Amino acid sequence: MTDQPKNEPPAAPEAAPPASPQRSEGRPSGPPRREGGYGGGGQRREGGPPGGGSGGPGGPRRGKRQFFRKKKVCRFCVEHVDFIDYKKAELLQAFVQDRGKILPRRMTGTCSRHQRWLGEAIKRARNIALMPFATEL
Amino acid sequence: MEERLYDLIFICRPATPEEDVNKVVATLEHSATEHGGKVDKVERWGTRRLAYRVAKHREGFYVYMVVRGTQADMIKELERRLKVADPVIKYQTIRLDEELKRQSKLARHRERRAGRRPRKPAAAPQTPPAAEQAAPAN
Repeated sequence: MTDQPKNEPPAAPEAAPPASPQRSEGRPSGPPRREGGYGGGGQRREGGPPGGGSGGPGGPRRGKRQFFRKKKVCRFCVEHVDFIDYKKAELLQAFVQDRGKILPRRMTGTCSRHQRWLGEAIKRARNIALMPFATEL
Repeated sequence: MEERLYDLIFICRPATPEEDVNKVVATLEHSATEHGGKVDKVERWGTRRLAYRVAKHREGFYVYMVVRGTQADMIKELERRLKVADPVIKYQTIRLDEELKRQSKLARHRERRAGRRPRKPAAAPQTPPAAEQAAPAN
């Protein structure tokens, strides 16, 4: 928890060498712009030290790689759901991982309001053993 | 005080005989009416598999009730009864009226908007058509 400076070397494994010549001093500490990288998992790990010094977080932006992804639409908004029922565990099951974790919005495309309600519903369902907190394997 | 609506779910041990479950339900109904409340609905979901072990059981007999009342003591009393009831292994009470209120409010809001939309297609062509196109696309 306290290793803020120690965090630096592993934080940017491939960000240091390329150093992005065209925009070397464009914005050293700008926010990491996301370019459609939904659900990728890796690759988005560079948020550690904000003023990183040498490489900078905006390193490996090669410009050519562009992903075009279909815009996700909130399923509950499409169906005009005003109340997410915690008793429908089968419905809620689609919004958790296999181990029982609640999926983030960026995966499912749920809007913020419905994600809030969804989280609440899942937690209620967990409490009354309709859904697992964590599945034991 | 206005009336409040609650969801009450409790889980009994899977081996509980039917009459013991009925007894629990009856006591709950009785103490609800004692506190000026009313049981709207009782549903027996039957024996279901639990998502995790509760009191060393993997299955449980679910009973779902809808209770309405005006006194806060009522829920306190119901929960106390559930706690001391022998066959009950887990219970949960959820206050629902505010969410239902929110739900009806949103529904009303949408109805109003839907009624207004065809009247001015030229005034605001930006957002309403986009919203309408998005719906059938999926």
